[in-house]
Parts: sequence; C-alpha cells; structure tokens
Amino acid sequence: MTKIAAAARLHAPIFLVAAFAFAAPAQAQKSGGSITVGQELDITGFDPLKVGVYDTSTFTAAAAIFDTLTTLNDKGEAAPKLAVSWTHSDDYKSWIFKLREGVKFHDGTPFNAQAFKENFDRQKDPANKCRCAFYITNVKEVLAPDEYTVVYNLTDPSVNLPATNTIQSQNNVVHSPTAWKTKGDDYNRNPVGTGPYILKSWTAGDRMVLEKNPNYWDKGRPYLDRIILKPLPDAQSRFASLQSGEADIIWDDENDADNIMKAQKDSKLTVHTYKGSGAQVYAFNTKVAPFDDVRVRQALVMAIDRPKMSQAISNGLSRPASNPYGDGSWVKCKDDGALPFDLEKAKALLKDYGKPVEFKMLVTATPRGRMIGQVLQQFWKRAGANMEIEQVDQATIPPRAFTRQFQLVPWRIVDLADPDPQMYANFRSGSPLALANFVDPELDRLLDHSRVTADTAARIEDYCAISRLINKEAIWFWTFQNTYYALSSTKLKGFPKIYNGVIDVSTTWLE
Amino acid sequence: MLNFVVRRLLAILPVLLAVSLLTFLIASLLPGDLAYVILGDQATPENVAALRRDMGLDQPLWWRYLSWLGHVLQGDLGRSFRTGQTVLQAVAERIPVSLQLMLMAEFIGLLIGVPVAIACAARAGGAFDRFMTGSAFAMLSMPSFLMAILLIYLFAVELHWLPATGYVPFTEEPLANLRFLVLPALTLALAEWPGIMRVLRSDMIATLQEDYIALAKAKGLKPSRILFVHALKPSSLTLVTVTGINIGRLLGGTLIVETIFALPGIGRLLVGAIYTRDLVILQGVVLLVACGFVIVNFIVDMLYAVLDPRIRHGHA
Repeated sequence: MTKIAAAARLHAPIFLVAAFAFAAPAQAQKSGGSITVGQELDITGFDPLKVGVYDTSTFTAAAAIFDTLTTLNDKGEAAPKLAVSWTHSDDYKSWIFKLREGVKFHDGTPFNAQAFKENFDRQKDPANKCRCAFYITNVKEVLAPDEYTVVYNLTDPSVNLPATNTIQSQNNVVHSPTAWKTKGDDYNRNPVGTGPYILKSWTAGDRMVLEKNPNYWDKGRPYLDRIILKPLPDAQSRFASLQSGEADIIWDDENDADNIMKAQKDSKLTVHTYKGSGAQVYAFNTKVAPFDDVRVRQALVMAIDRPKMSQAISNGLSRPASNPYGDGSWVKCKDDGALPFDLEKAKALLKDYGKPVEFKMLVTATPRGRMIGQVLQQFWKRAGANMEIEQVDQATIPPRAFTRQFQLVPWRIVDLADPDPQMYANFRSGSPLALANFVDPELDRLLDHSRVTADTAARIEDYCAISRLINKEAIWFWTFQNTYYALSSTKLKGFPKIYNGVIDVSTTWLE
Repeated sequence: MLNFVVRRLLAILPVLLAVSLLTFLIASLLPGDLAYVILGDQATPENVAALRRDMGLDQPLWWRYLSWLGHVLQGDLGRSFRTGQTVLQAVAERIPVSLQLMLMAEFIGLLIGVPVAIACAARAGGAFDRFMTGSAFAMLSMPSFLMAILLIYLFAVELHWLPATGYVPFTEEPLANLRFLVLPALTLALAEWPGIMRVLRSDMIATLQEDYIALAKAKGLKPSRILFVHALKPSSLTLVTVTGINIGRLLGGTLIVETIFALPGIGRLLVGAIYTRDLVILQGVVLLVACGFVIVNFIVDMLYAVLDPRIRHGHA
C-alpha cells in the first residue's frame, strides 16, 4: 500500500466525524466570562496618522474595538457589517454602500456617511503625510451624498472591493471623528469605534482590557464580558502561559513548529489553522546579469526542493507553493505551469548558460531570514550557482526593492479575498512594485482583463494563464503558502477563520 | 568628606557627556533612514526630503548632537513618533517594574550568596565548600533564557505554583505582584549569587588569615562572632563593588527576562523600541539607563568611604 493510501485510511474516521459535526445543529452561544489573548507584539496605538500600518497584534484589538463596512462570511464572500448593501458602476470604478442606520460610536457620536468620509479624508490628505495613504492610492475620493450613503470613486477598477476592504486595518476600521478631534495626541492610545468591545484600560507593555459594548448594534452580541489582550513576546513562555491557563488563546506561527505539534497532541488545546491565499515569494531583477537570462532563473527555481526545505525550517509544517494564489484562494488551476524540482535539469541549464553564476540575495537579518538564505544557498550550490547572502535590516528591504538595488529579494503576497490588488501591483509593467522589471504585453493584457471581468470562471482562466506565464519565465518564484495559526483552550468556541492572518476573538464565547 | 563628594561628582560629568555622545552616535549610525521608518516603505522621495528637513536630519551630525543635548539638558528627551508618548512618560510608566525586579533579584542573590560564602570560607576546602563552588560555576554558565524556561516549566506548567507570565502593580495587589515577580527575580538571582559568593568567599578567606583574627581566636571569642562581626565587614568591600556593577548586568538581564516573563519594564520598552525602530525612545532610554548606572557607581564609591575611612581621607 502506498503511503498516501495508508494516510487516507488512517484519517477516514476523522472525515466522518467532521461530516457529522457539520450536520449537527450549531452550538448554543453562551454569554459572560472573560478571556486572555496572548499576542506577539506590544500594540503601539490605533491612530493611523501615528502608527501608519497596523501589525498582527493591533489587528486583533482593532477587530474588537472597531467595525468595518463589510466582513467576510465563512465562505470568504463579502457580508454586511456597517454597510447593509452595495452596488457598483458597470466599469467597477465606482462603488455605492448603503450604511446601517442608528449605529453610534462608543462616545455617543452617530455613525454616518459624513463620519466615514472624514476618516477617509484624514488619511488621504497629503498634509497629514500618513504612511497609510499608500494603501488607498487606488481610491480617488469618498463621497457622502446623503446621511447613509457612501460612494467610493476609484482610479482603477476593482471588481471585489467589498471583499478586499474587510481586513481590520488602519484604512478600513472606522474611528469616531469627535474622539480624534478632542483627544489630539492622546487619541492614539484612547481609540473609539463602533465595535463590540470598548477600551476600558491599557497599561503599556502589560495588558489592554476590553469590556463588552452594551449598546452594540448586533443585538445579542458580543458574548464575552471582557477580553484581555497581553503581549507575550517570547514564543516559549507564551505557549507555557496557554498550558498553565493564564492565556486562553495565543497567536503563533510556523517558526514555533515544535509547540504547534505539541498542542496538536494535547487534548486540552485546539490548534486553529487557516490555509490562507498568497505565499512567501522572491523576485529576480531581470534587468541585471545573471538574471537577464531565463535559463539561469529557471535553473535556480528547479533546484529548490520545497519538501526538504519545509523539513529544515519548520519541521515540515510549511506547505509548498506552486503559484502565487495558494490553496486558500478561489483561483484553482488545473495547470499552473510550476517548474518541477529537477536538479539535473538545473545543472544542464546552468551549463548551457556557460558563464559562472554568482549573485547576491537580500535576506532579513533575523534567525529565520538567515536560515532560509542558507537553505537556498545549499540548493543552488548543488546546481552549480554561488549565492552570497546579504543580511539587511527588515526596514532596508522595501527601499532597496523600490529602487531596484538588488539581484534577488524576498517579498510576500499576503492573504486577501481577491488576487487583483497584489497581482496587478506586483506584475503590471510600470507599477512601482513590479520588482522583476519584466515587461510582457501578454502579461499586461491578462492583468488588465482580469480586473474588469466580473465572471469568476473567466477570471480564474486569466489568473491561471498569468501563473503559467510567470512560472515559465521564472521572474518570481514561490516557496511556501501562507498558513496562519492560533492555539486555544478547547473551551473557547466560535473562533472564526484567520482571514488575512487576523486573530479575531470578538465573536467567541466560552463553553 | 564633602571635598571627596565634590571631587567624585566632578569626575562624573565627563563620563555623562561621553555616555550621551555614544548613545547619540549609536542611534544615529544604525542602518536605515529615520524618515523612511516614519513615512513607511512606500514614501515618495519628496516626502522623505521634506520630513528630513522638518526633523533636521539634513543637518551635520555634530549639530544634531548639540541640539539634542541642548534639549536633553532642558529635560526634553523627545517624543515617540509611534505612540506619541514622551520618553519621560514612557520611562516613568515602566521603571517601577524594572527597579522592583532588580532589587528583588539582588536581594535573593545576596540572600543565597552571602551565607553560602561565609559557610564556605569558614571551612575552606571542605566538602561543602567544594560542592558549592562547583554548583556556583554551573549556575554561572547557565544562560538566563534557559534558566527562565526551565523555571517556567517546573513551577508554572508542571506544579502550577506560580504564574508563567504577567504582572500587576504592587500598589494594586501586593501579593499577586510578588507571585508574578518571584520567577523572573529568581532567574536573575540564580546568575547573580555565584559572583557574590565567590568574591566574598575569597575575601573572607584572606581576612580570616589576618593577625587580628588569630588574636580574636586566641582571646577565645565565639567562631560565629569572629565570622560575622570581625571578618564580614572588612571583607565586604569588593562585594559592594560587585553588587554595584551587578546593577549594570542586571539591567542587561532585564532585556531577556522581561521579554520571556512579559513584564512591562524598561527592558521590554527598549526591545520594543529596537523592533519598531523608535529611535527617540531608544536614544532616551539608553541615556537614562546609562546615567542611572553612573549614579549607582557613584553611590558605591560613597559606600566605600563609609566602609573604609582610609578612602575618604585619600590615603588608599
């Protein structure tokens, strides 16, 4: 019997149990109680003008304190939140949202189109120099034609705006305009939203206490009386806090593979995994030697043994990627054109190229960055190429990438409900993020077509063709898909999918 | 005595000046442009240039140092561009945690180190002495992050006696506060006591060979009285120095221990500032910590004078 068949037999009872669980009626939610969330980082604040971009820990707090116009349902489609319905123009350059009526911010300020527009204008205003403005360059303006209507006018079409605007980010969560105007500098650490939880107290570096919003617009919610967010920066002691019961749910990632595997075996713990879209990716600068030759690029990609690499960096937890979309995306390709792992072919291609292949790769100066660099270095050495690792600070990578001062640079395609924003930015010629410096009329045509097409099947065709083209030219390559983790006590129920990598505990309850 | 204090104080000034210069240079010479850090990866060159002008980053380094020093002398250490807090606010919020941690660690370290040293010195070369010197060496070689994780697994995960992470202020719940701090303080103390023990032990062995100790023995004084009254004080001079210098080591230790035990102290503030490239906080905190260290050493010098009259009269 093959290994796969054996595994299937072994897992068959689990599939049956899973099917039964879906058939059973939904569990009854219980109100009351308090949970502690162990986070990775200290939250610095919530004012987009101050913090610029939210990190994973801030997302979790923002998901409880604030609301967004739309949210993602269990199928990954846009669903109503502060907006109840939406329509778009034929060219997808204009979106009209009808807002929920009677919603109030925690400070009593009414939520309406004007408040929403003020949030947007504040971020967009060049005088405010907000780092967050980069992420809304595609939005020309937001209008408030009447009290409960918001109009987005875009510079480029977006067929899936309601789904891509669901992440609880600096740009999408709605702040009370009264609060930031009256609190000034202090607003950053005293955020006011419309969300299910209200900030009660916050001790820097220690804990943030969120209390249930008794006037939340979604009657019956939230369930928990209190959520305590604690930064537990050390992975080992964070996991120990979960084991000893001081935390009910903790953030985690593949770097901490040992503890994730330990949790999988622990009957008192639940491992929440979300297989997101996107991938860890790398871009060749195709304008400089040796990467101006497709044979070299193909050879390096074919020399990468992803399963072995996964073993080396995360005990095999990392899921190999063959395209930029991943299993979490609705883009599924019969043929994504991925180059196979083939060391002999790689050697032959480099031999055919004739000249010695020597280059530098940028890696982040972290243990993780170094490890990935060293693994790739070994793979490529076996194929006959010499890679030199250039360790740089995380903050140095983007400026180097934007100014194209690199030969090979690591990048990331994050989980998002629609591939268009990132694919267009990363591959359309002329985009500042098209790091490979690669121009191909067919690639541009496919990217332009997919963003104005509403029919999902047609878009999948486009994106699969794009993947085949990129894989064949090997201008970028992908190593692993994005997998997001949270570990919790089994008592915690109602935890949603970790969309966009956001641990959202605002809908949970304790059994 | 007053003359001595003034002399020492004057000697501190150049040290503090050098500290401020080093702090400034370290923060300024870090790779990565502060303007890029604030404006983000996708800032336009014009925005970056404008911000550099606003912040004076286009000025020469010496000029930036002098203007920063000018602000510092007026008590203005700057404001974090991430949180909007001033350096002094951020430090004031967090210093009690680190001070308490360091004091508890030093206290536990002395509590273990001093009695063990006396016992070892009393029977130098005996079985107890050999055993304790050996274990001190083992403890000293153990990195604090490993010790911290071992203590967490033993006392929090297995025995459930103490919490693994967390903190409440002493003013709110004194007992809970102590429970939270025992493991972190113990982690630091277990690396501290060997140093204390070894220094005091060797000094005491030397003192116990002095003539006046022989005289005391000849007079028939009780051994305990000789050890604790006649030998301990003259032997503690090096111990005071070590304890003072240890404050610096402990400060370094808090970076790791506060991170592992999730204590909201100065160490965590510093680590956070490094990760978020909050150079204003980084620069300010390093300066304050370095000044604190200089002041502790000044106090140690003063204690010398109290312990040994020869020093304050300048005969030493």
